[in-house]
Amino acid sequence: MSQSPVMERRSPDTGVGGRGPAEAAFIRIDGARKVFTQRSGGAVPVLDNVDLAIAENEFVSFIGRSGCGKTTLLNMIAGLEDVSAGRIAIAGKVVTGPGQGQGVVFQQHALFPWLTAVDNVAFGFRKSGLAKAERCRRALELLSLVGLDAAAGRYPREMSGGMQQRVSIARALALDPQILLMDEPFGALDELTRIELQQELLRIWEARRKTIVFVTHSISEALTLSDRIVLLASNPGRIKRIFPVDLPRPRLRTDPGFNALYQAIWNELST
Amino acid sequence: MKPLSRLSAASDLTLGLIGAFLAVAAWEISARTGLVDPAIFPSPSLAIRAAAERLTAETVADNLFWSLLRVFSGFLLGALAGAAVGIAAGWYRGFGALARPLIELLRPIPPLAWIPLAIIWFGLGEPSKFFIIFLGAFFPVVTAAYQGMRSIDPMLLKAAQTFGLSGVPLLLRVAVPAAAPDLATGVRIGWGLSFGVLVAAELIAADRGLGYMIINERNTGGSVGVIVVGILLIGALNLITDAAIGAAIKRWIGRWHGA
Ligand SMILES: Nc1ncnc2c1ncn2[C@@H]1O[C@H](COP(=O)(O)OP(=O)(O)OP(=O)(O)O)[C@@H](O)[C@H]1O
Ligand SMILES: [Mg+2]
Repeated sequence: MSQSPVMERRSPDTGVGGRGPAEAAFIRIDGARKVFTQRSGGAVPVLDNVDLAIAENEFVSFIGRSGCGKTTLLNMIAGLEDVSAGRIAIAGKVVTGPGQGQGVVFQQHALFPWLTAVDNVAFGFRKSGLAKAERCRRALELLSLVGLDAAAGRYPREMSGGMQQRVSIARALALDPQILLMDEPFGALDELTRIELQQELLRIWEARRKTIVFVTHSISEALTLSDRIVLLASNPGRIKRIFPVDLPRPRLRTDPGFNALYQAIWNELST
Repeated sequence: MKPLSRLSAASDLTLGLIGAFLAVAAWEISARTGLVDPAIFPSPSLAIRAAAERLTAETVADNLFWSLLRVFSGFLLGALAGAAVGIAAGWYRGFGALARPLIELLRPIPPLAWIPLAIIWFGLGEPSKFFIIFLGAFFPVVTAAYQGMRSIDPMLLKAAQTFGLSGVPLLLRVAVPAAAPDLATGVRIGWGLSFGVLVAAELIAADRGLGYMIINERNTGGSVGVIVVGILLIGALNLITDAAIGAAIKRWIGRWHGA
């Protein structure tokens, strides 16, 4: 893992995550804009002048109304979408495409329909150099992590939306990326599975020291997981406010601090 | 559609067999009662008897073999070429821009319209027949392969890119499987067209094959029964091979695509 000298200045007691743009940035977004050109020739500004610095090992959530540009911003960090103006850099290197340590869990799962669940996950080990049998064994391990051991041989069309979503999470974990970009990964899950997977994600994040950018529509999910919550406004998408979440983990919904932040985010979101 | 959907597969089959039996029975009866002239349309029993008299198993097998050899070789190479060109045109923008107008220009020409040119270029032998059967398979497959490539879900390509795939591996491991269902449809249409073109080509210019067998019977003033049996044989052959291709496609993509 590349440790920039600036990173080491971080005070150890804050645990993970930087607490502001002044801190060393692992992912740095500078004046990023996105304009989609439509087939009719028109230009749609989707993101306007986004500045954001994310520290190494930080857990950041994006929250904002549907269509405000969360997926677009995530895809730009992933290197899957060009930046119309400004720049995005990871560990000081400008993002020019995927494969710079970014793993992605897509909002629409994006599983390969011709591969079974286990083969979809094993696809994530492509670059690992592991033997086929070993890849398969580890893929099964990851599937059981997301509670899908029994569905290993199923094709995506034979699985429910929530099952597909979990396969997609397992596949991204197989890559063992430094940066996990997760687009509403728990959106299609029942409450119980969602809470289990949130805990699992936190465990992985703490054990493997990953930087996670997480899109969600759930304020309480963002509060349960994140070091910081970035609230985006629409038309064009821009950062409206950033909420640091200085609450000890595991976080409880009954905690007054949790509730106060929930209210503050709710108010900001609804105005 | 409620009442229909309640029928089981087994009863569907039974009804189908009853339908076929009724048609054959009606045919036999109308020929026997003189409703149609047996000299131009003999009853099934007469046709089979005539065919059994005039054709040896060896002749039939020999003609069958030639027809199958032609259609398989022409189809195989036509489909392979069509798939390669269609996939490349869908993947490489420049090549697509170069090749597609040409393909679109030639595609509307029915393969049979090429016969005179094929005879001039390749003579009356096998190459001319190979050529038009090749065309019969090439155009449906090239079109379907291109369509399939253009309608790949871009998210799949993006997902694969995040796992470090690009270039030819991305094409072969992700784009081609993603386009496979469309490609398969093209292959099946291509087979049907190749087969039709085969028989037509054998009717026009050939010295062996099932098409030749029936037109030769006509030209030498033989038995209408042989022609009737030959036609049914051609139909059965197409039916069986098409079903075999359908089954192969189902094995190939059926489970994950649900086709
Ligand atoms: N390829 C595209 N071409 C044109 N417009 C696009 C394209 N992709 C996204 N948009 C537009 O950009 C805006 C932001 O889209 P995006 O998918 O990033 O929203 P989002 O915040 O992820 O929404 P949701 O919460 O519903 O997932 C939307 O208004 C959308 O219509
Ligand atoms: Mg989205």
